[in-house]
Amino acid sequence: MNIYLREMKSSRKSLFIWCIAMIVFIAAAMGKYAASSYVSGQSLNDIISKMPEAVKSMFGADRFDLSKAIGFYGAMFIYVVLMAAIHASLIGSNIISKEEDDKTAEFLMSKPVSRAKVITSKLLAAITNIAVFNIITMLSSIYFVGYYSKGENVTDDVIRLMIGVLFLQLIFMSLGLCFSAFLKNPKLASPCTVGIMLATYILSLAIDINSHLSGLKYLTPFKYFDAKNLIYEKGFEIIYIVLSVLIISVFIFAAYVFYQKRDLKI
Amino acid sequence: MNMVLHELKSCRKSTIVWAISIALMTIFFLSLYPSFSSSASLVKKILEGYPEPVRKAFGISIDDVTKFLGFYSYMFSYVVLLGAIQAMNYGISAISKEIKLKTADFLITKPVRRDEVLTSKLFASLISLIITDIIYLVTAFITAESVAKESFNIKLFFMISVTLFFVQVIFMSIGILLSTIMRKIKSTISISLGVVFAFYIIGMLQATLNDKAMKYITPFKYFDAGYIIKNSSYDMTFVIISLFVVVVSILLSYVFFLKRDIYAV
Repeated sequence: MNIYLREMKSSRKSLFIWCIAMIVFIAAAMGKYAASSYVSGQSLNDIISKMPEAVKSMFGADRFDLSKAIGFYGAMFIYVVLMAAIHASLIGSNIISKEEDDKTAEFLMSKPVSRAKVITSKLLAAITNIAVFNIITMLSSIYFVGYYSKGENVTDDVIRLMIGVLFLQLIFMSLGLCFSAFLKNPKLASPCTVGIMLATYILSLAIDINSHLSGLKYLTPFKYFDAKNLIYEKGFEIIYIVLSVLIISVFIFAAYVFYQKRDLKI
Repeated sequence: MNMVLHELKSCRKSTIVWAISIALMTIFFLSLYPSFSSSASLVKKILEGYPEPVRKAFGISIDDVTKFLGFYSYMFSYVVLLGAIQAMNYGISAISKEIKLKTADFLITKPVRRDEVLTSKLFASLISLIITDIIYLVTAFITAESVAKESFNIKLFFMISVTLFFVQVIFMSIGILLSTIMRKIKSTISISLGVVFAFYIIGMLQATLNDKAMKYITPFKYFDAGYIIKNSSYDMTFVIISLFVVVVSILLSYVFFLKRDIYAV
């Protein structure tokens, strides 16, 4: 419990800044929607729907109905996802590796707690951070999208999207935990996690451009919970949920195993 | 000179990793071009049927997008994103790593002036960036030559590609300024990612919303590939702004670093 509280206290400031940034981002994006409001939204949609996939994704327009608030939010949503992924990767990779990096690992390990317990507390702290980030983003999205949506009910859509983001956050957080337990040099944990995160993001863009690559979509978590599917189509796909849960549990399990045996670099 | 060499040595590995990953990404994206261009000619036909104002609403003229340079500049924006993160990392870590690793008092007690320290670190970061960019340029050019079916304007290609270096220098100088202002930086990458992505997302919003004023806020829009292709020159306003940002932040970092309290361990 003490370790958990200590972690929460040390990440309080950065979490606060992240949340403010998310609120401002969503407010600014939706405010822009109101300002431009895409008067010619309908005719624009007609044109966009006739374009081939590759060109649509280059305009970032895809299949969203830009004349509606939720469609506009869906088009902006990839940035929310990207920020959530960055936050989660940084939290996951820093929370364990920082002890060695800041030379406090010695102090922590000499306390009468087992290593497993240390990881559990840190894991819980990381999950709390992610959950707070997610909930704040969800609430501000519901508020701002709802404000501009002219009475349409958007709450369900936003909640669905944010549940998808939560999975994505957990995947990258557990990847970070796993790396910081596994890599010999604690300094490499966050660059590696962030590197993989960016690589999968770029892969997801490439899949958008070229439909031949769609077989690779299982490799990038950014494709698991697609805003288009969640708003307009099937909703959650079982295969991706199973896959995400599998990835998350494997990484967390690996983090425990590797960290128990780790030679601390002091 | 010793300091420059030492710095270069310490970021040798990271320069290699960055250069290789940027080069790999370039090869990967450019190799998608052939299949992209075949589907793109379809759109062109559809769009030609629409009136001029509707086409303008898209911001980019369709003609540019379907040509090789249009595709290249789309891909190039991701290269710039990665390059900016690298440059920001170098800028921030130049000073902050000495403090964090507790080697600052060792360095400062050597018979060199503080401004010499900062100058050598600046040069070392610049050299690493230049090496990365040269590797990128060569890879991009070779790949472009082999995938592009039609011939493209080589001068424009290089004019666009070189802007990678300009944006990197802007971010590096912002990074150095940050590292001289902030007392202790625990994690370089969280700050560099935060700053770079903040600017990047502003740039993305700018592109989606076509807001003129937002262009001035983010360095990612200072060297707009669309403008370069159209006018085959850089937009002078933004060149001046970039120079201003770079010079001011480097000058300020000297001012702050010369006066800074450096704590012995």
